[in-house]
This record gives sequence, C-alpha cells and structure tokens, in this order.
Amino acid sequence: MVGVFFVVLLMLVLTLGLTGFSDRILAATIGEQLRAERTALAETIRDPDEMEKVLEKRREELEIFYGLRTPWYYRLPSTALRVLTLDLGEARSLRSFDGSNRVFDIVTERVPNSMLLLTTSFIITAIIGIVGGSYLATRQGSWLDRFVSGFAAVSYAIPTWWIGILFILILSIQLRILPSGGMYSTPPPTEPLPRFFDLVSHALLPVITLVLVSFGPSIYSIRTITLNIAQEDHVKIARAKGLPESRVRLRHILRVAAPPIVTGLLFGLAGSLSGSILVETVFNWQGMGRLYYDALAGTPDENVIVALTFIFTLMYVMIRIVLEVLYVFLDPRVRYTD
Amino acid sequence: MNRANALREVLRSGPGFGGVSLLGLLIVVALYVLLVFPLDFGESQWSNPIVWVDNPKAVPPVWTNSFRRETRPPHRIFEGREPHTEQMARSGPVHSWRFPLTYTSSHPPTFLAVTLADVRYEERPPLVLISLKRPDGKQLRIYRHTVRGPREGESGPFLRYGQTPLRVQLSTDEATVTAVQNFLADEFDLRLDGAQIGGRVDRFLFGFPSGDSEEAFVPLTGDYEIIVQAAMREEGDSVGRVRFVVGGAVFGLMGTDSLGRDLARGLLFAVPVALFIGIISALMSTAIGTSLGIASGYLGGRADITIQRISDIVANVPVLPLLIFMLFIVGPSLWMIIFILVIFGWPGLTIQIRSMVLHVRTNQLVEAIQSLGASRRRVMFRHILPQITPYVFAQLIFGAPAAILSEAGLSFLGLGDPSIPTWGQILEAGFRTGGIYLGYWWWIVPPGLCIVITALTFMLLGLGIEPVVNPRLRRSPP
Repeated sequence: MVGVFFVVLLMLVLTLGLTGFSDRILAATIGEQLRAERTALAETIRDPDEMEKVLEKRREELEIFYGLRTPWYYRLPSTALRVLTLDLGEARSLRSFDGSNRVFDIVTERVPNSMLLLTTSFIITAIIGIVGGSYLATRQGSWLDRFVSGFAAVSYAIPTWWIGILFILILSIQLRILPSGGMYSTPPPTEPLPRFFDLVSHALLPVITLVLVSFGPSIYSIRTITLNIAQEDHVKIARAKGLPESRVRLRHILRVAAPPIVTGLLFGLAGSLSGSILVETVFNWQGMGRLYYDALAGTPDENVIVALTFIFTLMYVMIRIVLEVLYVFLDPRVRYTD
Repeated sequence: MNRANALREVLRSGPGFGGVSLLGLLIVVALYVLLVFPLDFGESQWSNPIVWVDNPKAVPPVWTNSFRRETRPPHRIFEGREPHTEQMARSGPVHSWRFPLTYTSSHPPTFLAVTLADVRYEERPPLVLISLKRPDGKQLRIYRHTVRGPREGESGPFLRYGQTPLRVQLSTDEATVTAVQNFLADEFDLRLDGAQIGGRVDRFLFGFPSGDSEEAFVPLTGDYEIIVQAAMREEGDSVGRVRFVVGGAVFGLMGTDSLGRDLARGLLFAVPVALFIGIISALMSTAIGTSLGIASGYLGGRADITIQRISDIVANVPVLPLLIFMLFIVGPSLWMIIFILVIFGWPGLTIQIRSMVLHVRTNQLVEAIQSLGASRRRVMFRHILPQITPYVFAQLIFGAPAAILSEAGLSFLGLGDPSIPTWGQILEAGFRTGGIYLGYWWWIVPPGLCIVITALTFMLLGLGIEPVVNPRLRRSPP
C-alpha cells in the first residue's frame, strides 16, 4: 500500500515537472517574495533604477536558491516535498472560509467536512449491510432475496450523483421539504443545538444518496459471505451441539465472516471516495469533492487540483492501511512478523 | 455448447432477454443518428448558438400540455422562400407571403421574431412590411424595414443578408412597440407608454383587454394571419427567405435548455457516443487485461512478478481523483478520456485471468501440446485463450457500463470533450447554469435516464451471459 502511495506521488511530481507546472509554482513563490521585499526596500532605496537593479539581483539569487535555473528533474525531491507538505503556493481565485488564499488552508479545512459525510454514510451502510445481509442469508431464494440481488446489480448501473440531483429536484425544489445544498442555512444558527439540527437537515439528502446506491451491493456481498460460511462444517457441529440459533449466528457465522465483511465494507468506503466527489458537488457540500468542482470551473486552480489529488490518494491509502491493521485483530491467523 | 445454443440460453433468461432487446434498440437509434446527423454535430450545431436562436429558451416538451389544465402555446416557425403571391403596384412588384396561424392557447406567445435572408436588388432597396390579421378582424402593421441601401462605391446587383441574415426580435423592437401603442389607442382606447408595452408586445398582439385593469389582456384565440410583404422597385429583385417565429412555451419531444438547444437532438446524438465510449474502452482494457493476465500466468518468473506489481498498484489507486488530474493536465478530448479509462481499467481482469491461467496451464491438454514442441505464443493464444474466452467475454460486457458511468461523471465535473455532446455534459450544463434549482426537470431527468438505461443494458446482458459462460453459476435444478 505504501508502494501505491509513492507511485502516485512520483506520478504527480513527474507530471508537474513535465508540464512545466512546478516551474510556475516556483516562479509564483519568488514573485510573491519579491513583492514583499520591494515594500521593505522602498523604505531605504529612493531611486527607482537602483531599486530595479537590487530587485533583479535578488530575483537571480532566489531563482538559484529555489533551483529554478536547473532542469526540473533535479528538483524532483523538493517538488515531492512540496506536494507532501501541501506547500503549493496560493490559489488563483478560490479562498478558504476566512479568506486565506493559501492552498494549504483551503484544502485542509475541507477535510473534516468530507470525512463527516463519508463516515456517516459508511456507518449507516455498514449497519444496513450487516443486519440485512445476515438476515437475507436465512431467507435464501425468497422474493426479498431475489429483489435485493437485482437491486444490487442495478445499483452498479446508476450514477450516484444523478440520484442526488433527482432528490434535489423532487424533495427540495418541488416539495420544499429539505434544503437543496450547502451545509448550513444562511445565516447559520448560532446556538449549538439548532446548529446541529441545521447541519443534520442539510446532510440528510447527501447521506441518503450515498447510502442508497451502496447498500444494495453491501447487503448482497455480506449475504453471500455469510451463506458460504453457514454451510461449513463447524457451523453444523455448533448446531448439532444444540447451541441456540442466535449464538450460532453471532459466534460461529458472523465472527468467522468478519474479516471478509470488513474487507468488503472498507473497499466500499474507498470506492465511495470517488462517489463522494460527485455527490458533494451536487449538494454543494463544502468538502474536498466540491472543491474539485470549484477548482475546475472557469479558469482552473491548478495548485488546488494537485493538492486535492494528493489528499485523496493519501486518504485512500490510509483506509487500506486501517484495513490491514484491522485484519490482525479480526483474523487470528494473520500476524505480521519478521 | 455451440453459439446458437448459447444465444438461445441467454435469451431465455430474463436479464439476458432484456439486455439483448435494449441493446438492439440502442444500436438502431445509434445507426439512425449516424445516418441522419452530421458527424461534426457537436461543433457545427450543438455548441453553435446561432443554430438555436429561434428556439424558446428552457421550455418543457410539447407533450407536457396533455397533463395541464391550461395549454401552453406550441412553438410555431413559418418559413417561406418563393413568394405566395406577386402583384404589380405602382412602385414595382410586391411579393407577399401569408402564414395562417390558428391560436388556441390560453397564454400569449413567448416572443415574436422575424428573419430576412438573401435579399437581392438591382438599384433601390426593397421595403419589407409585416402585418398581423387578428381573429376579431383587426389588422395592424407590426414591422417595417427598408433593406440597407447601396454603400458608396458599391455597384449593383446588391446582395444583402446572405452570410448573416437579418434577425429582429419584435418583442423589443422600438418600431413594433410604437405600432402596438397606436393600435391600442385606436382600437381599445388604451393609452400606454412605451415602457408598459416593451417586452410584452406578444400579450397585446395576441389578446384583448379583460377589463380588470389597463394592462390586463387575455389571449384571443382563433385564426390569425401573418402577412409579409416585400415592395420591390424593379422586376427581378427578390427576398430569398422569410421566417416568422411565434415563440412557444413548449418545444419538441424533449424541450429546450437555457440556450434554446433542442434537447431531443442532443440526447439522440449522445447515444452512439456513449456506446462508442463503453464498447471501445471495454474492448481495449479487456484486451490489455487478458493478454497481460495470460502472459503473467503462463510465463511466470520475472514477467509475472513485474505484471503483478504493476497491476497491484494500478488496481489500488483512487481512480476518479487521478482521472480528474490527468484529464486536467492533458486537456479534455474523447480519445484522451477513453485512453485514461483504459489505463485504469485493466488490472482487475489481469489478476483474475492470471489465476485462471495458472489453473489451466497444468491440465493435460496444455502439457501434451507443450511436449509436442509448440511455441509459447502458440500455446498461450491457441490453447489457453480459447479456454478462458467465455469468461473474458462476460467481463468485457461488464466493463462497458463502468466506462459509460465514468465518462458521465467526468463530464459532469466539466471535463467532457466540448466538441461532442454527451449525456454527462447535458447534465453538467443543467447543473452549472442552475437549471435544477429552477425545476427544469426535462433538462435533468432524461439524460440521467439515458445513462441508466445504457449502463443497465450492458449489466443485464452480462447477467444473462454469465451463467451461460460460467458453468459454476448455472442454477442447479430445484
């Protein structure tokens, strides 16, 4: 997994270098620094020609210092470091909530908003999946079972974000039940409790959208996993011993099925990272996904796009690392030893 | 199982039958589009505002009228080339066109526009007059235009409005407003100033005072006639084309977007595009995935390790962010989108094919052929490939909806190929311009439905074919 991370980082950095993009970031940084110095120098140097000369010299120094005079591939490590620390200069037109134009501020303040949406819908999907899946495993072949497997297949053919748009069209625009987008009403309530409920009412539609398209496949895969395990010998023995059915299901089926179930769910979470980009866009949810859309609109904000691609990779890789750690706890056969 | 049998079995399953019939329908539509639409439809028409200028903006489809109590006016376009009648007057020949219009709607037209094109005259410019004859017998002149005269140094015959036809929006035309003002004063004894009339000309022209207040007019239904007259100065002068548009509040099969584009045409053109994207990217990523999978499984050794490492990495990157990033860097074009979808589309298949090949290569048939001295390539493609073909075929079909959905998502983020309309781009336009918040459902619902239907077609096909090609999934008799 760490390999994936470095490959993506390398790819990002190479693309930045090859497209002359890293040059532009550096040039912008230097320009910014020179502007700052000009105001400071204006105190001491009166003559404009003298001033230009000093600044030109300073620019040369800075360009050598930042390595702008050397070809881009010599600067790969420092560009990589810049991406890693999100030190990508300033955004062109996007601003953070309190007006900063630094890419770092703009991107990082969105992370919690995205996480809020993702984790909420993930937990709901997981609960529905586990409860529904293990229930369906006992009703194999029923009409409900067939319906869910059909529904799961159809879910793969439906664009999540379009379902979101339909929700807005029907529930927000026609029936005016729920807000059509954003995270808070304008102006946002100041009291903590109303503020919380305001957030909930805004989060309802995006969460429902994300859950609606992911719970079908999740129920279906958990049902299949539990079914396979329910047919194993140790379950028959447990039943033969006369253990109560609830105990068999919980201790002998679900416990054994836990590792593949968790794998499936976390893979689903990683997959819904992509879905959330579009769902956030549709609902104007102030997360990283919506930021992608805003950064792509009009004159694109390149730095922000680079930063976002990096953060999404980071999140994706982190989910996978969590998965590997969880495996150790869930499956006693897995041990990481030298 | 031979091919005919396999097909019969696919058709017998519910999903298989649904998939095959939907695919047939889509292919018929795609062929129709390829025959009827110009290939550069996107550039020459869809993104060319001049084509759509005479259409009403953001209006629902015509058939919505059957669900409403009050019918909205349909869109009417009258066009004439050869004059309907020619008369001789003292000043010269008078060409006239008469367009009958039966007006039944309880709403006034949304706009009135007139277009003149290809005017030709020898010496002195013709004069164009347009009058409206109402069902109540009243008639008024609503437009009067003298074609632009000769420029200095220019010699006849003079051609006017050839490249750029003259288009006048009567609803806001000053002369028309004055004409309506006089008409109201003479006929209904109403004295309104220009500001009260401007922009609402249609309401007065197609209505009569309801008596509630000065400006309250209710539409007058009945038979109207639009009379266009061109007074020529010489024999042989002509107006090549006359066009009069009575703007409706409903349009066509699918309505229009906020630029007046006929959504039905955009949706239709996107059918072959979507099929193309789905099929080509599925074919290419399946080809890459299969050949790498076979190579990895059969060759083993360093090749195997390299391919496995690469596919592990590509299979584990977050696809959409990287798709966005790469498309953003290289710029949006249809081929680039397909190329990038293929780059990220192959690894899953490679991993599965490899494990199947590992299984197949140990069977006796393959061992026997190897001992006969067959080359590695021959074994791979003549003996291993046929054994996994059915499985590959099913995967090929499941690959298509994924590509179609990805393209739609990318287009929705504004990364679609601007020269080719797709459903994702139509949705993007509806979303970005705020169409969804104004409740323009005919702009939002149909493209999404098209995406779902197309993706579902391939899903159903795959579901129908999978049990046939994969014996383990065949349902055991109860």
